[in-house]
Amino acid sequence: MSETITVSTLSKWFGPKVAVSEVTIGFGPGITGLLGPNGAGKTTLMRVVAGLQKPSQGSVSVLGIDPRSDPSVYREIALVPEDEAVYERLTGRAFVELAAKLARVDDPIEQAQKTLEIVDLVGSAHRRLGGFSKGMRQRAKVAAALVSDPRVLLLDEPLNGADPVQRAALIELFQRLGEEGKTLIVSSHVLAEVERMAERVVAMVDGRLAAVGSIATIREAMTDKPRKVFAECSDPRALASALIATDGVVGVFVENGTVQIETQDAWGLARSLPRLALERDIALTRVEPVDESLESVFRYLVENR
Amino acid sequence: MVLARHLYLRMMRRGRFLALLALASVPALVYWLAGFDASPGELEVLYSDVLSTAGFSYSIAALILTVATLREERDGGTLPYIYMRPMSRLSIALSSIAAGTAAALTIALGGWLATVLAVVLVGADLTQTLAGLSLYAAAGFGYSAIFVPLGYLVPRSLLVGLGYVIVVESILASVVTGIAQFSIFRIALSIYADLAPVFDMQGAGEVLGPVTPGLGGGLAKLAAVMVVGIATLTWALRRRDAL
Repeated sequence: MSETITVSTLSKWFGPKVAVSEVTIGFGPGITGLLGPNGAGKTTLMRVVAGLQKPSQGSVSVLGIDPRSDPSVYREIALVPEDEAVYERLTGRAFVELAAKLARVDDPIEQAQKTLEIVDLVGSAHRRLGGFSKGMRQRAKVAAALVSDPRVLLLDEPLNGADPVQRAALIELFQRLGEEGKTLIVSSHVLAEVERMAERVVAMVDGRLAAVGSIATIREAMTDKPRKVFAECSDPRALASALIATDGVVGVFVENGTVQIETQDAWGLARSLPRLALERDIALTRVEPVDESLESVFRYLVENR
Repeated sequence: MVLARHLYLRMMRRGRFLALLALASVPALVYWLAGFDASPGELEVLYSDVLSTAGFSYSIAALILTVATLREERDGGTLPYIYMRPMSRLSIALSSIAAGTAAALTIALGGWLATVLAVVLVGADLTQTLAGLSLYAAAGFGYSAIFVPLGYLVPRSLLVGLGYVIVVESILASVVTGIAQFSIFRIALSIYADLAPVFDMQGAGEVLGPVTPGLGGGLAKLAAVMVVGIATLTWALRRRDAL
């Protein structure tokens, strides 16, 4: 993966409070989900990458340029800030046109129109942003960011306030931009949405990197957390007793006619579970992992700290 | 130009514009009310007092207006829309101070026109009033150069600016010669004193204190203040956190 953003031993503190500590990471084309509980340092990391805040230590480079020293890089970076901040007295169209003019886009009027179409705001573009719903403001902010066709997009909670239809449309838009080769960093506290759109996840806890990679890779690396598998079958007690002696299985619980298995060797269990069921003439009706989701992985990461 | 226009229009929203126009017009109102039945000699003295009042009311109006230029963007979270643009930090500083100056001059023009109206209404000599525009304009330039960077750098900049106007401009500058030389209102008054056909050294001249009347000297000081203001704001945009 060719990196468009490089963060090297970055720390940022405000007086005695350390917001980001010794973070080294690279971001390339595609969507990266930035996760973390409140106060984890996600917004600070985004602001430093955007050049809005100066690193206390370490460095940031976007497309090979330090955004604090060369503003020409802002032709290629755009940020959708977390807060609802917009110019309430401007209309949606005036807001996007202003962004286009400040970004020195060729034909800002035409480009603003195109971008408003992309976020489906043309019908409301004549209205003042002050009268927009939260979801519409988010879309206006996304339009203002996209109007200069940047290669790097930093999206801080871009789905906040959007209704389910708008969320789906925005996720689809972000996925399309990622497929076009743009670098998108999306922070969100709605894990299911990150799971849906991001192929790579960066988890932050207490200002530090807790994990980086695909959700499956991160889960795989958590060797101290046995995998939990839920099985529904015709004879739970018989299956449980057969599983106890299986390599890698560290716990078996029978509850409400189902079996919950904890194992250190998920692949081994995947091979042995059907064989054991077959040998004992037990009909397996449902088998599924319980803690493979991003939510479970994230919970483990936060618990570990 | 786009940025300066945007900042100017944001500052000059209707409610604030009218309130500050009213504040800058207080000296004209005082002059009209007090000078209705006054003799020509009394009117001259009264006009001198009006200049001193303008020093205070217009300073406050210019402070409220110019300090908001970038402070509102920072506090409102909209600064990234301006900051993350492919333009040099010097361009942003120049555009911001230009917008602040234009806004201050708009209010100055309003305050001056109110004074002209008051002079016409009481039937006094207008020639003296014409030079008054230079007083407002020069003060507008100077205050913008100080208060726009202050607004960007200091969170409670309105309070700090108020402290500057009351403590430095009104109190310290009238007792400490060195400070008087760099008091924005006194620099503006020195320009006015040079341009006005008659300048009452007993009345407004007392406010001027040790500052010598002179167009060239006043403009040179204003230029120096402007250069320092632009350099400070450019430095702050480059070196300080924008949020």
